[in-house]
Amino acid sequence: MIRFDNVGLRYGSGPEILRDVTFHVHPGSFHFLTGPSGAGKTSLLRLLFMSLKATRGLIFVFGENIADLPASGRAALRRRIGIVFQDFRLLDHLTTWENVALPLRVMGKRESDYADDVTDLLNWVGLGDRIHAYPEILSGGEKQRAAIARAVIARPELLLADEPTGNVDPAIGNRLLRLFVELNRLGTSVIIATHDYALMDQLDAPRLMLYEGQLKVTP
Amino acid sequence: MTLITDIRDYPWSSLLAGILPARLTALLPRRFQTAGSQIVPPGSIAGHALTVVIAIMTFLACLTAGGVYMVNQSAQAWVDDIASEITIELDPLNTADIEKKMTLVSLFLAKQKGITKVRPLTAEDSVKLLEPWLGQNASLSALPIPRLIAVEIDRSNPPDIDLIKRSLTENFEGVTLDDHRRWQAEIRTITRSTALGGITVLGLVAAATIAVIISATRSAMASNREIIEVLHFVGANERFIGGEFERHFLGLGVRAGLMGAFAAALAFLLLPLAMHLLGGGAVTEAETRRLLGSGELDIGGYLLCVLVVVVVAGLCMITSRLCVIRVLRSYA
Repeated sequence: MIRFDNVGLRYGSGPEILRDVTFHVHPGSFHFLTGPSGAGKTSLLRLLFMSLKATRGLIFVFGENIADLPASGRAALRRRIGIVFQDFRLLDHLTTWENVALPLRVMGKRESDYADDVTDLLNWVGLGDRIHAYPEILSGGEKQRAAIARAVIARPELLLADEPTGNVDPAIGNRLLRLFVELNRLGTSVIIATHDYALMDQLDAPRLMLYEGQLKVTP
Repeated sequence: MTLITDIRDYPWSSLLAGILPARLTALLPRRFQTAGSQIVPPGSIAGHALTVVIAIMTFLACLTAGGVYMVNQSAQAWVDDIASEITIELDPLNTADIEKKMTLVSLFLAKQKGITKVRPLTAEDSVKLLEPWLGQNASLSALPIPRLIAVEIDRSNPPDIDLIKRSLTENFEGVTLDDHRRWQAEIRTITRSTALGGITVLGLVAAATIAVIISATRSAMASNREIIEVLHFVGANERFIGGEFERHFLGLGVRAGLMGAFAAALAFLLLPLAMHLLGGGAVTEAETRRLLGSGELDIGGYLLCVLVVVVVAGLCMITSRLCVIRVLRSYA
């Protein structure tokens, strides 16, 4: 599903943020991506999401070498990936419901076909009473849950999450982890970037350890 | 196929909502309202200044197109008029009895094939023709003013003008025939020059509109960079993002275009009155009427203004879409 071969990344003429990163993500797998702050977790996620170009090496996403893909091809691949950002990236002028429905709207689906699914998911993540609220009045945890709901609403084949439980209390964090596990059981591959060891200890999943730009896979 | 798909999938029901200001959109029936909020907020696209600029551009384009149309219509009517007439001029000098000569020439002309009507103009008629330039002056009748005979020809069965010209020269002294060909050629030259000037002005207006839209699109994209990034993250392609901006600019183009065209239509409606009020003397007014006719735009001219609105809206839409796609590609 995902293959990195000797991937390197540097910003401008600065030092390499990622060096010789090589790993595979198989369909239906669950990985934690961890490492200290500044180790390059977010950069690696951005490479996975094709919002950055590798300085060297090869990246295959769903079997496609992304270096050869035109913009339209990358957009088509992104529709198969859900992503949760550390800073949520919700659109302030859209309601919570509209933010969550955005991927389906982009896919050209009819509102009548997905309205119930969006409402059900918002109820499931505990935002049933915040459907018409705008992001600016949501708490950090609520924004996080709305961002997660947006990432999973289109049932992506791959889910990338950057510190998804960083702004929520442990109870909600556990609930979100259960959502990720449930999605994984339904066939979605999941990569969660986190340095929350308590969260990682709850699940027996391989860890992609980033340290000073180099990656080690455990176990 | 792509074009057909584009047309089929276009959110036509939301077009009206895009054209009307937000506070009026809420009054529309539900089916004309957009499903959910607009992804790119209308307020972030362009302010009233851009609408005013596009409206002024449309106004100028409509005035130019309407003016050229009016001149063309007037010139065509003039050409048609003078092409169906010839004028015979009799030199009054060295002619003992000019009235007798007028009668003889008129009788001669009436016998020719292809001539439908012969109308000798009296000396007073000739003086009246000079009045706009020389004024009402009693001493005019003392001048040796040439006498004229207006001859209408049958355009479906025209006479042999050259033969008539030769016969007149052979039979009468001091009689000349003017078939108005020189005038026709000059009118056509003026009409062509006016049309060329009009096309140049329209081209400049189109270029200015495109430049303004490109600038506004770039600025709208810069202020909506975060939204564009999020749309990328949720898998939106260039077409989708381009469509979101394009719809706003189409609405703006139609709205501003209608404002400009309405103002131009009002100007054309008031033109006859303005010509009368500001016409100056009889000569200026007569000259203006010769150039622009009655100064009233017919239905064809107003349809041309509607076409200008369509072109301006289309320019806004296509320019913004191409600009968005170009900027998106520069991001990649």
